[in-house]
Amino acid sequence: MGLEWYIARRVAWAFVVTFIIISVTWGLLAASPNPQVSNAVRSAAMNGDDPAEAREIQKKRLGLDEPLTKRYVDYMVSVYTLNWGWSQTRSQPVTEAVMNGLYYTVQYSIPWTILVILISPLIGIYSAANQYSWKDHAATGFAFFGYAIPNFFFGIILLLIFGLQLGWIPITYNTDVGVFSLANARQLAIPIFVLVTGSIGGTMRVARNESAEFINADFVKTALAKGVSPFRIYARHIMRPTMVPLSTTVVGQLLALFTGASLLVEVVFSIPGLGRLLFRSILAQDTSIVLGTSLFFVFIATIGNLIQDLVYTVLDPRISFSDR
Amino acid sequence: MARDELQPQDGSPDRFLSRRQWLAALGVTGTAALAGCSNGNGTGNDGTETQTTERGNYGGDTPTDTPRDELPPVSGTYRPARGSEVTTLNPLYNTENTAGGIIDYTMDSTFTFAPGTEVFPLALDLQSDDNEVWVATVRDGLEFSDPYGSLTAEDYVYLISEVHQPKTFSTSDSSNFGSDVNVTQNSEMEFQIELPEVSPLYPETYDPLINPAPKDLIQPYVEDEDDEGMRQDEVLNNLEYTGNLGPYTLDTWERSNRIILTRNEDYYLKDVEGIDRIFQGAPYFEQIESKVIPEQSSRLAAFEKGEIDAVGVPPEQVQKFQNLEETKVVQQPTPYNSVCTYNFRNNGWSAGPGNLFRKQKVRQGLACAVNKADLIEGVYRGYGTPEYTWQPEWSQFYPEDDSGIPKYGSGDLYGPEPTQSRIKEGISDTDYGYDGDGRLLNPSGQQCELTIYCSANGQTNQTFAQFIAREFEENAGIVVNVEPIQTAQFDTNYLKQPETDDETEWSAGAYNRGGWEQTSDNTWDLSVNYGLNTYPLNPATAETFFIKDGSINYYGYQPDWDAAGLFSDASNAETLDELKSVTKEIFENVATAQPMGMFLFGVDTPGYAADIQGPVPNFFSGWDFSAWYRGEN
Amino acid sequence: MATDKSSRFDNVDWEAVTADSGRALSTNLLGTLLCVVPLIALLVYDFVALGQYEDTFAFVGIGYDVTQLDWLFALSLILFVFYALLPLYQNPRITRYYWREFKRNRPAVVSLAFLTFVFVVGLLGPIFISQPEIDLVTQYQPPIGMSVQNTYPVQCLGEVTSGASGQLCHGSLAHPLGTDSRGRDILVMLIYGMQVTVKIAFITSLIVITIGTAVGTVAAYSGGMIDEVLMRYVDVQQSFPTFIAYLLILYAYGGGLFLFIVLFGTFAWEGTARYVRSNALTKSEDEFMKSAELTGASTYHIITRHLIPNTASSIITILTLLVPGFILAEAQLAFLGLGDPTAPSWGQLLSTGRDALPYAPWITLMPGFLIFLTILAFNFLGDAVLDALNPEAQAESE
Repeated sequence: MGLEWYIARRVAWAFVVTFIIISVTWGLLAASPNPQVSNAVRSAAMNGDDPAEAREIQKKRLGLDEPLTKRYVDYMVSVYTLNWGWSQTRSQPVTEAVMNGLYYTVQYSIPWTILVILISPLIGIYSAANQYSWKDHAATGFAFFGYAIPNFFFGIILLLIFGLQLGWIPITYNTDVGVFSLANARQLAIPIFVLVTGSIGGTMRVARNESAEFINADFVKTALAKGVSPFRIYARHIMRPTMVPLSTTVVGQLLALFTGASLLVEVVFSIPGLGRLLFRSILAQDTSIVLGTSLFFVFIATIGNLIQDLVYTVLDPRISFSDR
Repeated sequence: MARDELQPQDGSPDRFLSRRQWLAALGVTGTAALAGCSNGNGTGNDGTETQTTERGNYGGDTPTDTPRDELPPVSGTYRPARGSEVTTLNPLYNTENTAGGIIDYTMDSTFTFAPGTEVFPLALDLQSDDNEVWVATVRDGLEFSDPYGSLTAEDYVYLISEVHQPKTFSTSDSSNFGSDVNVTQNSEMEFQIELPEVSPLYPETYDPLINPAPKDLIQPYVEDEDDEGMRQDEVLNNLEYTGNLGPYTLDTWERSNRIILTRNEDYYLKDVEGIDRIFQGAPYFEQIESKVIPEQSSRLAAFEKGEIDAVGVPPEQVQKFQNLEETKVVQQPTPYNSVCTYNFRNNGWSAGPGNLFRKQKVRQGLACAVNKADLIEGVYRGYGTPEYTWQPEWSQFYPEDDSGIPKYGSGDLYGPEPTQSRIKEGISDTDYGYDGDGRLLNPSGQQCELTIYCSANGQTNQTFAQFIAREFEENAGIVVNVEPIQTAQFDTNYLKQPETDDETEWSAGAYNRGGWEQTSDNTWDLSVNYGLNTYPLNPATAETFFIKDGSINYYGYQPDWDAAGLFSDASNAETLDELKSVTKEIFENVATAQPMGMFLFGVDTPGYAADIQGPVPNFFSGWDFSAWYRGEN
Repeated sequence: MATDKSSRFDNVDWEAVTADSGRALSTNLLGTLLCVVPLIALLVYDFVALGQYEDTFAFVGIGYDVTQLDWLFALSLILFVFYALLPLYQNPRITRYYWREFKRNRPAVVSLAFLTFVFVVGLLGPIFISQPEIDLVTQYQPPIGMSVQNTYPVQCLGEVTSGASGQLCHGSLAHPLGTDSRGRDILVMLIYGMQVTVKIAFITSLIVITIGTAVGTVAAYSGGMIDEVLMRYVDVQQSFPTFIAYLLILYAYGGGLFLFIVLFGTFAWEGTARYVRSNALTKSEDEFMKSAELTGASTYHIITRHLIPNTASSIITILTLLVPGFILAEAQLAFLGLGDPTAPSWGQLLSTGRDALPYAPWITLMPGFLIFLTILAFNFLGDAVLDALNPEAQAESE
């Protein structure tokens, strides 16, 4: 018993969750009509061939003639052996497609995550320190603005202003610039800005409300009375306890945005990342990619939740992990 | 498979890139449809002028050699953009127009059509004495990349007889070569295609247009009967074998982002004699960068800023890009029309007992209810030409003397009076009737109410449906509800009829399993979901829409004129004049019978950077893509 | 619910309990029943007596066919009146107290006024204003005070002036907020969009509250295996990327607005369930709950009289965060082209206008800003409700 046991249980649970989610996703897609089969049938019908035969041939080709249980088992085995299959709509292995997409998604996700983690507690605490002053209202207004304005809408408007009217940023995304080049920073600045403003709101509010509690707490007053410098008070006595509840919101917020908003932002800014990959393959009903990509998002979500729980225990020594 | 009778009207933006796609539209008998679709429609200029002055030009004039002192310099990058990604670049399996365009950059097809429907031989020269046995001569000096050697007749024969013809492989051209076609090799560079029946317009059927592949490359898959392996083959997918066969070679293919092609120094066409001198320096771009930009507004913004060179322009913005100094818009007709199909089957005409669509007079009346000029002006911004029969006016098959073709929906043949008088005549033997307010009442005394289905994704298509609905209500007194629906869903649940164990009179596949009693699962009355191909180069192919057992005849039309006989005459015609006189009769019959509401021919409006030289405003634009270059504005 | 806590309540006089809950047929429940019964009767009539294409109210001469969505909407409105508005009226003292607390937060008051406006206009507007008409001739009319290149409208209804870059078409009173690419009046479209928004807000809230509290209380009071399974399920649902779930389901099964709303609701109750459960567990330790138990109150009574009122504030806060999320999700799906093309929602209008953004920005901007303002209002409101309903937190923070 102890921390290791807790982590082991937590990881095992994460594994179970992914397993269930993958199964559900697979089930959803298996239950809906396969577009490739319908297309083959349509073609055959128009050629005057026998559609039933065409359906059988196509099903056989896609392995859909096997019994459901076998397909399910095959699929689950290949998922965990990283044998994710071949994408019919991209003519490449699914793992390659996911890696390609990930390469571009990471380029804006990492700066975005770092910025949110850095900025939102700072604004929140700043806001709490100046509670009900105009500074607080301004910070709140900013947070709410970012949260309330639909990301894709904001993105399109900024793209039109800065791309088309002012010409400061390129309208199309260039993949041939270096990852750490200035050109890349320039083309990613607006997407990152949009995402950061969108995700700061929620976390900043939590930071504000939580730290407000601590600003008036006795231990802060004690520290102040002892002559501890304000900076140290904010950094040590307020920031740390604030981070505990905050860590839950940050992870949750980022994950929700990662799967929702980032997809739209990728479409708006034509970034060839994971979100667009998923969206397009849903439209094309490319089952292998849809599963592969959702799988990836699920991994991220489970790992995120895992990290969140672990961080929670580490940051807050009061939480005992043995009785969970 | 794929390509062409039906065109879903759901507004995807890629319409201008490929030469192949124009060819694709020419009419592949018996292949199945659903090509890369388009925003449908748009070109013409601003309005009425189109119909008179430009009509002849859409067919184009036979190209004459342009006298020129020097060849244009090779320079720069050509940067087209499109809205969607390509599925595959494997030339044997590709069914998409956009990908076909990319493949055509790297590898010339059999031949192409120059303006004036002039056959321009590329890899093959196709000749026939009796229109039944076609002899194909492979051009000398065509080389695959190492290690595949020269392109010979053997490669073609092997590909056709071992891959396209057997059912083992699901290649896209399988349907072009039925089992009753005999392909035999005559000599190293010559083979013959023996057709089951005479076909004077065999090249125009587009059937012989195929991409070659080296025998050595595909042989292992053929021996293993490995369809999936051939589909996934990297050499095929990355077009690594194209040698000197095309003006450009594939460099990188970033799936969701861009495709880069570089200039092919060894392009064979520049050494060919007896053609326009411009080909001697071809191709003229150092590089092609074909980008994917999903958002239309971003695509157009990038075009306006000069980040890309070519893009599909929606009708509302044509004028803007025409007026800009850096851009131009070229109007090109499409063979697709915008039609409204009537459901003749037993689950059509939901407004009451019987099915009034089956009455020719009613259909003629409905044709008078919609003002074609207003439709084109209002919905398509003038980028379209009115359609009165199954052929655009620029086609050589459109009758010189079109007095036998009634012009429903314009002039005297538009309005409530012509509409209702015809419908009244049609319903004289039924209990339907008009009331004093011009409303069509069914036998139980309620106003007739129908539903029109349109594409859920195509804005223009929805507006088109709404326009028809309003005109029907105003002029025919029929209430029409507009119902947007996803194309695939409509296709499966409304058009296809379920299989039946009963003996049916005929069965032409899922879209037409027999007579009127064969109905789909859901009822429908009217549909504008598909544009249909009118086959301007080979109109005999349109048979499939009009004979009662045609495979596309999902609407269940049963002609009361001798459609089967006329179309059979057309495909057996031995001379062009004979063919023209048969098609004239067909077109007159179609115009009178009004088997569906025929409204307009779309016009595409691709935009180009002003300094791109090459695009021409006719049906054949792009046939000489390797000679396009960047010049003066 | 009533079976498995006998171990804890083995000394309860069951008959007394039953009588107690029978007595508790409150005004709220009575009112609800009075409204719901006719509603169900009408529903049965619609499904049994009328064919698929006949209008529900044809017998009183109203040509309007009630949709599945309308039934749910009506139900949620009834519940809203009897379980949100009526209690406020019944307890004037507490209401006044809340209002005093709430009033101090001025942005929240403005937000509440705005949302009430959206609610009232969305509810009544479509009754008095007919559906926006498609008229191609009047497409791309700019709003009053704006202008557009005269090449875009087929016919300009306002004043035409010649500017530096050609003729300009100005807005006119005929369409004060302009028209879209099919000539539909934007103002009318926005009013219809309000109704869709109100429907989204109410129906999803109904679903979230119902499932969330049910699962939460069942988990808390059953304990053991049931609790474990339910909460593990909540875990899984929380890990499932919701937006991806929407995409998958909508594409596989096609999506009307009804499915949208039901999906939003059924994929979002896990937070509520969790909260209700933990609250139930904590509160059951509280003195007043214990005394309620000791006096022999039934579990049903405890849940409805003590637990739910005590968690109401938190549920409201959760909802003020969830509802704007749904509005946003609808807009996002519409933007991706997966929305319900027949639903006149703001998201749908926004997405039809985005291709025209460079020259006719108002089509996108108007619904975009309304979405923005609505979400903003919900946030301010949620903030204020949190403060007003949770005096402890406020006392601490001041």
